Amino acid sequence: MSLQTPRILPAHLVAFHPSTARSSHTVRILGTVTALRGDTATITCGNNGDVTLILKPDSHLQMGKLVEIIGKVTDLDGGQGVGIRVLGSMDWGNPADCDYKIYEQVVNASHRFKTIFYDSDE
Amino acid sequence: MDSGFNNYGGSFGGGGGGGGGFVPGEMNSPAGGKSDYNNATLRPITVKQALDAIQPYPEAPYQIDSAEAVSVTFIGQVRNISSQSTNVTYKIDDGTGEIEAKQWIDSMTADTMDTDDGGKGPGQPGKNQIELNGYARVFGKLKSFGNKRFVGAHCVRPVTNINEVHCHLLEATAVHLFFTRGPPGGGKGEGAGGALGGGLKGEGAKGDASMGGMDDFAGKGLPAMSPVARRVFSLLKTEPQSNEGLHAQLIAAKLSLPMPDVARAGDELLTAGVIFSTVDEQTWAILEF
Repeated sequence: MSLQTPRILPAHLVAFHPSTARSSHTVRILGTVTALRGDTATITCGNNGDVTLILKPDSHLQMGKLVEIIGKVTDLDGGQGVGIRVLGSMDWGNPADCDYKIYEQVVNASHRFKTIFYDSDE
Repeated sequence: MDSGFNNYGGSFGGGGGGGGGFVPGEMNSPAGGKSDYNNATLRPITVKQALDAIQPYPEAPYQIDSAEAVSVTFIGQVRNISSQSTNVTYKIDDGTGEIEAKQWIDSMTADTMDTDDGGKGPGQPGKNQIELNGYARVFGKLKSFGNKRFVGAHCVRPVTNINEVHCHLLEATAVHLFFTRGPPGGGKGEGAGGALGGGLKGEGAKGDASMGGMDDFAGKGLPAMSPVARRVFSLLKTEPQSNEGLHAQLIAAKLSLPMPDVARAGDELLTAGVIFSTVDEQTWAILEF
């Protein structure tokens, strides 16, 4: 089976943390870039909070852009909670062009009706 | 299999009534005459559904949720583009799996057509150019070669609006629920948002029973059963008939289903006690009180 990357919201990060028994820790998340700090960045996911990203050298995120991140859920340095190590990113341009509510529904539906989206790992 | 969904589409668009149900005389293709070409349903799916699709027997049309899915459409990121002289193969990843979409190059159109569609032939530069790691929407048919499943693509076009991606995933979910649980209940013509919202939120009670109703009556009266049985029941419900009910052959013709499927659905409905046989074992009517 090829790699599956469940779409999530910040609230679900913990569920995909390596300490849980899941087979996959690679996720997709959508958010607006609100802070860039060299090798880390923060994205804001609608009204669902922020996520800290650990960037890779060739990820070129731009402030204020909507980005879709594919990455692995990891612990942040210094015990600052859970973040995402970026494996790939996709720039979707202006956040105003995206209705974040639709994404929230997608996350909701894709986890509720899992059979058509993801293999069960339980 | 498609006709049911067409009805669904109708009620989606805000059509009132019981959301679904079968308009008499709408389907006129005889049971025997169905082929890939008659079945023009375009079904939105996820890549995982494409990979999970089953063939009831070799060379048969693929089925998803026990409904024939001849033409499908999905959206994903292009992970690889491999251009050969006769075709272009795109590897598409939508987060639920990966599948290859093979688009044949029509040398006629590739050479002569220079419309504002941009690169008419696959792989040609133009404003509809597919980019690596960009999103693309694929329209095509499920195929397999050896053990490898792929999609014979009619059309691959880039997707630039993220809402289209999300909308597609919700659409795929809605269609999946339609085939597994029947048309959305309570159809008050609320339009897409309402119908889908209802489907998603009404899910509170887990399990396939009593989720989607045929319409007000059927939804509540019908226990959990296969989609085919639901369709047979719905036809019996809506089709004008004498008190002798409908013959299985007629049902098969109306629904464009093979007889064995209808017979099985009949058994299911008979066992559930919602229909009864009238003049002979193959003629059924709805058991009403």
